[in-house]
Amino acid sequence: MKKGITVFLVLLVLASGIAMAAGRQDTAPAEEEPFKVAFIYVGSPVDYGWTFEHDMARKAVEAEFGDAVETAYVENVTVGDVSRILNQFAQQGYQIVFGNSFGYMDYMAEAAEEYPDIYFEHCSGYQLGPNKANYFGRMYQARYLSGIAAGAMTETDQIGYVAAFPIPEVIRGINAFTLGAQKVNPNVQVRVVWTNTWFDPAREREAAESLLDAGVDIIAQHQDTTEPQRAAQDRGAYSVGYHSDMRSFVGDSVLSSAVWDFSNYYIDRVRAAMDGTWESGAYWGNLDDGVVGLAEFSPLVSQDVRDIVAQEKEKIISGAWDVFHGPVRNQQGEVLVPAGTAMTDAEMLGMIFFVEGVVGRID
Amino acid sequence: MRLYFEKRKTSSKIVLICVPIISLVISLILTGFLLLVFGVNPLATFSAMFNGAFGSSQNFAETLVKAVPLMLTGLGVSIAFRLRFWNIGAEGQLVLGGVAATWVALFASPYIPAFLLLPSVLLAGALAGAAWAGVPALLKTRLQVDETLTTLMLNYVAILIAEGLFYGAWRDPGGMGFPGTARFPQAAWLPRIYGRVHYGLVFALILAVVLWFFIYHTKWGFELHMIGKNRTAANYLGVNIKRTILVSILISGAFSGLAGASEVAGLARRLQEGLIQGYGYTAIIVAWMAQLNPFASIAAAILMAALLVGGDQVQMMMRLPSAVGLVMQGMILFPLLAGSLFSEYRLRISRTRGEETP
Amino acid sequence: MEDTMALQNDLTPVVEMKGITKHFPGVTANNQVTLKLYPGEVLALLGENGAGKSSLMNVLVGLYRQDEGEILVRGTPAEIHSPKDAVQLGLGMVHQNFKLVETMTVAENVVLGLKHLDFIPSFSEICRRINTISRQYNLQVDPRAYIWQLGVGEQQRVEILKLIYRGADILILDEPTAVLTPQESGELSRIIAQMIDEGKSAIFITHKMEEIKRFSQRVQVLRKGETAAVLETSKTTPSELARLMVGREVLFRLEKKICCPGEPVLEVKNLCASNEAGRPSLQDLSFIIRAGEILGIAGVAGNGQRKLTEVITGLDRADSGKVVIQGKDMTNRTPLDLIQSGVSHIPPDRISMGIVGDMSVASNLVMKEYRSEPVVKRGIFNYKEVAKSAKEKIDAYNISTPSQNTEAKFLSGGNIQKIILAREIGACRGLLIASYPSRGLDVGAMEAVRLQLIDQRNIGNAVLLVSEDLEELITVADRIAVIYEGRIMGEVPAEKADIKIIGHMMAGASLKGAAQAAAEAELGEDGI
Repeated sequence: MKKGITVFLVLLVLASGIAMAAGRQDTAPAEEEPFKVAFIYVGSPVDYGWTFEHDMARKAVEAEFGDAVETAYVENVTVGDVSRILNQFAQQGYQIVFGNSFGYMDYMAEAAEEYPDIYFEHCSGYQLGPNKANYFGRMYQARYLSGIAAGAMTETDQIGYVAAFPIPEVIRGINAFTLGAQKVNPNVQVRVVWTNTWFDPAREREAAESLLDAGVDIIAQHQDTTEPQRAAQDRGAYSVGYHSDMRSFVGDSVLSSAVWDFSNYYIDRVRAAMDGTWESGAYWGNLDDGVVGLAEFSPLVSQDVRDIVAQEKEKIISGAWDVFHGPVRNQQGEVLVPAGTAMTDAEMLGMIFFVEGVVGRID
Repeated sequence: MRLYFEKRKTSSKIVLICVPIISLVISLILTGFLLLVFGVNPLATFSAMFNGAFGSSQNFAETLVKAVPLMLTGLGVSIAFRLRFWNIGAEGQLVLGGVAATWVALFASPYIPAFLLLPSVLLAGALAGAAWAGVPALLKTRLQVDETLTTLMLNYVAILIAEGLFYGAWRDPGGMGFPGTARFPQAAWLPRIYGRVHYGLVFALILAVVLWFFIYHTKWGFELHMIGKNRTAANYLGVNIKRTILVSILISGAFSGLAGASEVAGLARRLQEGLIQGYGYTAIIVAWMAQLNPFASIAAAILMAALLVGGDQVQMMMRLPSAVGLVMQGMILFPLLAGSLFSEYRLRISRTRGEETP
Repeated sequence: MEDTMALQNDLTPVVEMKGITKHFPGVTANNQVTLKLYPGEVLALLGENGAGKSSLMNVLVGLYRQDEGEILVRGTPAEIHSPKDAVQLGLGMVHQNFKLVETMTVAENVVLGLKHLDFIPSFSEICRRINTISRQYNLQVDPRAYIWQLGVGEQQRVEILKLIYRGADILILDEPTAVLTPQESGELSRIIAQMIDEGKSAIFITHKMEEIKRFSQRVQVLRKGETAAVLETSKTTPSELARLMVGREVLFRLEKKICCPGEPVLEVKNLCASNEAGRPSLQDLSFIIRAGEILGIAGVAGNGQRKLTEVITGLDRADSGKVVIQGKDMTNRTPLDLIQSGVSHIPPDRISMGIVGDMSVASNLVMKEYRSEPVVKRGIFNYKEVAKSAKEKIDAYNISTPSQNTEAKFLSGGNIQKIILAREIGACRGLLIASYPSRGLDVGAMEAVRLQLIDQRNIGNAVLLVSEDLEELITVADRIAVIYEGRIMGEVPAEKADIKIIGHMMAGASLKGAAQAAAEAELGEDGI
């Protein structure tokens, strides 16, 4: 019985010995410390989705500043681990930390209090602090535009939407997409299937296939992988991508994609942090800033459709109109946003209802 | 000439000390080659891993944070394994413990005086874990239903219950629809000792001592040994096997449930996805690595936690994908676990002449 | 003697073990043992439990590895690392505990593990081969029968068949008669004779003197891991062998006080029980044992003895009837209830039931005492008391163990039985049930066990002795009841018992019928 104890004492002593010996070798401090920028990713850069786009932006930061910055990231970080990662980055002298998951909010807020000299940038949250800013994009605008393409191309008037979780961000996207599709096709219905996961290729594919079985001919999605797109293509159906230009990974069956581009924001914020001009705030980038946008169309999309999309995009960028301008009806047909009014940002951020034309439940 | 294994009749001290050392060296060499393939300096990587886990008081604190649930669940499953009751449901017991603790903290708190709230939260967690383990134990003792399946399946049920609650009914009304319950009232917070290390660590250490005492110094522990090592003999000698199994498995589940409760009350202070990390499965490795010894379980939990925590450093410092960290964990663990074979068997070489075919 | 030995020396032994030494922790099992087996002979290997017979044979078949020494098979040095190697060399061992898969057929068991088996073996072909072998060696077995359907004797035949099928021509039989009825062991001796005629050789491990005459040509006696003597069977006597074996004279007669029974301790009334398949295994069985007497239960194994002892001790359930112990109805109570009402039980399966092999000798010795002070006080063990109690028992019962803390599984069968005896007798408060208590034990240990049982009777406990050994029953018991197919066929006082009558009752005759049959057999010479 004392065996076990002996074994582990020996192990621990040995492990420490080796690591100490190894540790002594590489502690040569650099002459000029580069500005250290950290990223905490909910997924992996190879997901060709959400985290991929953030990592593209990280690379853009590296390209912009060269040796003046040093970046590092940790991928697949769950909410249970994020505090630890934040602490570790802080101890290693990182000066600005970007986190790309809503779930990190409390932990980044805690860390921001503990490390007042470090800037914290949290994507998709709402909590602010003197050294903690939030950023996100009005993806619903790009969703709306991609919805127009889908609404014009569907023949069954049934579009499927593979969605991760019933949270406002996702709901907002579904609603905007539906409104876009209705713009060109009043009869269209958008069927929603929840997967309850951000990242699970097999489940995402299953969900897409069940929608195709139910008669939809276009698949849209709010997930972290390209699997719903691949499922649609395998069945000879179209799809609308999200996060990144999925057409380049899947093929022309992807009519277009609502895409993120955080490069400019990241470059601006890192520069501000280096200059000392960084200020806290809630940034909600739009089509005009390029944080959100629409990827190039597939050759399958007709010029007429492209023209309508271009027109609507102009309208939004001009500021004259936005997606959730009244009248907006819910699934029961009640007018929630009367004509002539628009939803406020706060209302949009807390959106938990489906617009008319969506088939599915928020539970 | 050929190699073969022969069972050792005795376990000599030298073997006990040398085998893990050699295993570790082999682990490091294997992992070193892997790292060379990825084009990074193995020594620097090992030192990054070690520093990440033990390099500073804060890092060590983070390792302990990760180790606490592994200690509690590891101790819990080791009780069950002693009885050869294959409880692989520690994950579900932990999650349900967290759920019950959350219920008390959020919904029963108005009816409980503040000073009793935290004890109630922890007790609820332990009871829920016990109840969740009690189901397979009852099925096993009453109907001979195989516990491996029932405990495993109940993990999924528990996880889905928890998800259903924090995505649905219990979702924080002030959270703008995002998953996760509201924060617990402060009276339900499990205080922290240093950094994020909460008092779950103290529970784990106390329980390890208590468990050790019970296993090696009490009637209950004696019967546990008898049942685990020869059930027929235990029955013949008058041990009430069904009751002992049931009670022990309830205790086993209570350990995991307490782990879940102390995680929600000490770390997140709310029920959310972060609770579901697979601790209950890692606990099985912890228990075996420790050969079911309570004190060794504590050490093994710290070692496992160090591997998990150190893996982050591989990403941060060496810029390797997280999968490499996972592969490293596997490559370090494998020879260690395989090494136990050499503690029990010796490898012999024979030179055979004649007609024998190798 | 000199002549024949010289003659054999001209032949090359089929097996020659030279200077074999094997150490176990704290024990030297074999010390410089040399053994020669010549073609066409049966060599009996005789010795007490723990004399090193089994370990020597386990070295030969590759289960253990010798620390020193050399093995030659047909004059060639052989490296035997596993039973597989042994089989390749034509060596096969029939163990005391058969290694058969109960849920498979005879044919399947015979070919199980064979290397050059077709992916889908042709069982009709295999059965044909088995039948050929069966006929050749008189090994009657149905190749399509399932093992669980077979009796012990038949299972043993399957083991022998398996070896011959694999081409073994050197057979090692480890106490093959221990589990057999007299008839079955007669059959076994014919089978072995047949095999010798076919040119095979055999080593026969035993410690029963009368079997040596019946089976072997030569006998090698081991004592404490060393060779005590190698003799020709025809030129020795049982008492010489016994002396060589134990190094002292053995009492074959046991001194017994006159039996003076007191109050009934165990009353079994109209007991009925059934087996898993629902067939009756005890049928309306009744008897009484009083304080200070020993009731022997004679019978061929498998006639309900196990059911009877397990129902009485609470390990199994009765369908109807009553078990009354010291006046209290204890039918279908838990094992603990029975233990607490003063019942002790020496079970038939020493290793699988009687002890926890992975726990220490000391722990095993206190497995009944631990429920009470001073070993356990308020639920907490007092290891000083455990050690004290264990030491007392080890001394009192002469248990030979390297230390108290040695795991019990490392002890020899006889010493394991002594642990059980020490523990059970120590806890006995009224009724001692002993199932085959001396089975597989050497003469010395056997005598010790029997004396202990008589002691218990003398101090006023009731003893239920279940045994197949009629000699044991007659010397130890006061009354002998014969069980057949779950019924008591009749009861005779031990001092008037006639082995022949009991033998007939064991085969299902009533007391009257048996007496008659015995008388007829007397007239017409023995009929076996």
